[in-house]
Amino acid sequence: MNDATKSPVQLAARNLTRHFSVRTPGRLLNAKRIVRAVDDVSLDLVAGEVVAVVGESGSGKSVLARMLARIVTPTSGDLVLQGTPIAIKSKRTLAYASQVQLVLQDPFASMNPVHRMSHNLIRPLRIHGASENDAPALAEAALRRVSLEPPSRFLESYPHELSGGQLQRISIARALCIEPKVLLADEPISMLDVSVRLGVLNLLRGLCDDDRLAILYITHDIASARYIADSIIVMYAGQVVEQSKGTSLVDEPTHPYTQLLIASVPDPSDPTRDVPPTGEHAQIAIAEKGCRFNPRCPHVMDRCREEEPPAFIVGDNHTSKCWLYADHEVAVEVALSTRRREGETATT
Amino acid sequence: MTTEKMGVEDVVTTEMPPQALPTTTYGPIAETTHVDAPMGARILDVRNFSVDYGWGENAVRAVDDVDVHLDRSKVLGIAGESGSGKSTLVYAITRLLRAPGVIKGGEARFNLGSDDAGEHVIDLVNASERELRSVRWSSISIVLQSALSALNPVVRVGSQFEDVLKTHRKDMSKAQRRERAAALLAMVGLDEDRLDRFPHELSGGQRQRIMIALALTLDPQLVIMDEPTTALDVVTQREIISELFELRAQFGFAMIFITHDLSLLTELADEIVVMYAGALVERATSRELYEAPRHPYSLGLLNSFPPMHGERTELMGIPGSPPDLAHLPTGCRFHPRCPYAMERCTNETPPLVEIKGTDRSVACWLHVGDPGVTVPVELSRVATSSTNVEPSKDVTR
Repeated sequence: MNDATKSPVQLAARNLTRHFSVRTPGRLLNAKRIVRAVDDVSLDLVAGEVVAVVGESGSGKSVLARMLARIVTPTSGDLVLQGTPIAIKSKRTLAYASQVQLVLQDPFASMNPVHRMSHNLIRPLRIHGASENDAPALAEAALRRVSLEPPSRFLESYPHELSGGQLQRISIARALCIEPKVLLADEPISMLDVSVRLGVLNLLRGLCDDDRLAILYITHDIASARYIADSIIVMYAGQVVEQSKGTSLVDEPTHPYTQLLIASVPDPSDPTRDVPPTGEHAQIAIAEKGCRFNPRCPHVMDRCREEEPPAFIVGDNHTSKCWLYADHEVAVEVALSTRRREGETATT
Repeated sequence: MTTEKMGVEDVVTTEMPPQALPTTTYGPIAETTHVDAPMGARILDVRNFSVDYGWGENAVRAVDDVDVHLDRSKVLGIAGESGSGKSTLVYAITRLLRAPGVIKGGEARFNLGSDDAGEHVIDLVNASERELRSVRWSSISIVLQSALSALNPVVRVGSQFEDVLKTHRKDMSKAQRRERAAALLAMVGLDEDRLDRFPHELSGGQRQRIMIALALTLDPQLVIMDEPTTALDVVTQREIISELFELRAQFGFAMIFITHDLSLLTELADEIVVMYAGALVERATSRELYEAPRHPYSLGLLNSFPPMHGERTELMGIPGSPPDLAHLPTGCRFHPRCPYAMERCTNETPPLVEIKGTDRSVACWLHVGDPGVTVPVELSRVATSSTNVEPSKDVTR
């Protein structure tokens, strides 16, 4: 039980689903189609761990982050914050926001351009109850936490005077200044210069290790996920297709989509490697029936076109939603950290 | 800084029979290549090129004294972060740069090839609008990063091909134009019915494919790719890159490929130049740059991409952030972020010079042969790879 006290689940999501209905162009006015943006996703965000969600654009990873931040209301599913179930259809409360904070992709767009950083940082502090006297000191402390020294210089600046990397650090500082337990980072490095990306990744890793934050890291860059994450989730068309603890998903990918994704990453250390056929162009090919990846899959079988595969256990804390592993055991509890902790408790 | 420093290609043109050269990373060039000019000949020669933004005392130097050159059917990669001047450089070379961008000096010569009348070389810096019009699109074409803003949103895709062909191929009939457009789409893996779509009806990957097809409409000799896949997913990027290289193998055009993604560039370019804050800091073949970088910035960039294999170790990237061009540091522009900075780096700017005994250049005081300076191990590695990434270069060895 020792482990459970050390790494409590801060935020648990169970079977989160979000459907959007869209009008189909060229049809009758009311003809609507359902887009299953996120379908039945479960995950646990644990203190001191980084969970990475990897997917292409349109895979539903940002909608997932927004549901966890309760900006988007799920169609169905459950959220449990520090053991307390949340009424998902109700309005987000300040108490929830004080525990779960979201950092967005574009640091230039997420700061008010006509105000100094002091305003951008002190306002959330005041909203969350800091007194007028305490707020500036807290803002300075938050800036020090993200290695921006001296803080006074940054508090005086306007957003246009700072670089992307500095602004993204300030976005993180702003999210952290109210001491949340969960940080949701939606593509935090994709808009930054290559040379400063690692700095932000190392910062996130440090916050996780030193301050025991639970971090959700959303990215399209599987190499960066491998770099900082404790577990990796790969999404395709709104579903989790493969997930693993550690890096086994990248080192030994089992799902054909993960294999394709990894082979597509530029890898100068191995320029002669084989890249599997990429199948149909992405975004067009999402099957309505069976496995959603089947139109692009090089291993497609009849069964894949008819039945949606469950998540099979393909390794230690490693599941894959693919019929190729039909002879493996089906995973019952989908969120990995829960399984791991139950397993460990059993042995101690 | 002259072209003589660029050893390999010069040797190639004098010692090797021209036919032996045209091979590419992704397979040999088809024998039916349309290029008439001798292979290996220099197609683009840019010297001492400088570009400012603004005038007078407010001018900011965005490209500073840059030399680049490219041989026919080769791929030159330009790597650099935002603000390094890589896009400004190619817009200035192609004279697409708009005010407040100003070419402050240097030359850019584009070799159209030779016929009975001799060589046709265009001086791009001084060319008239009419001369520029004759080479743009038909000899030099460009693919921009944002396909959605580069395509006309209120015109169907087919009409955009139609416009180009109507202007540059006046003898074609309407049916021929349509046929050509359909053939171009087929080349990039799209169906003919896309011609009747509007850009917003297509996915990002399809739009970028259409940009590439448009760029190839008139069989150019040089295609400039400005971050063509940066906005795309990695799988789509892979598809487009491999299609692009099949097309290059078929048609033999030269390419300038601009990206911040050095790992992508090392896979596909023959030669890479690295830009930092407006200046070239290193030039090498892509294998040499990847395996044995010489400039601390190149090394830092390479270490900024987390690896896909092996043990996870903490990488440091590059401390600090890129400088503001209006307030460049003194001496070497990289010195405030450089872990190897010496006294000299803070007040003297290192020139881009050839490293003794090699065909590569670097702008760094570590590599000028100063006896008092020990070159760090990580900046003096020897490239060992024998993988055939640059078969064209292997011919010479």
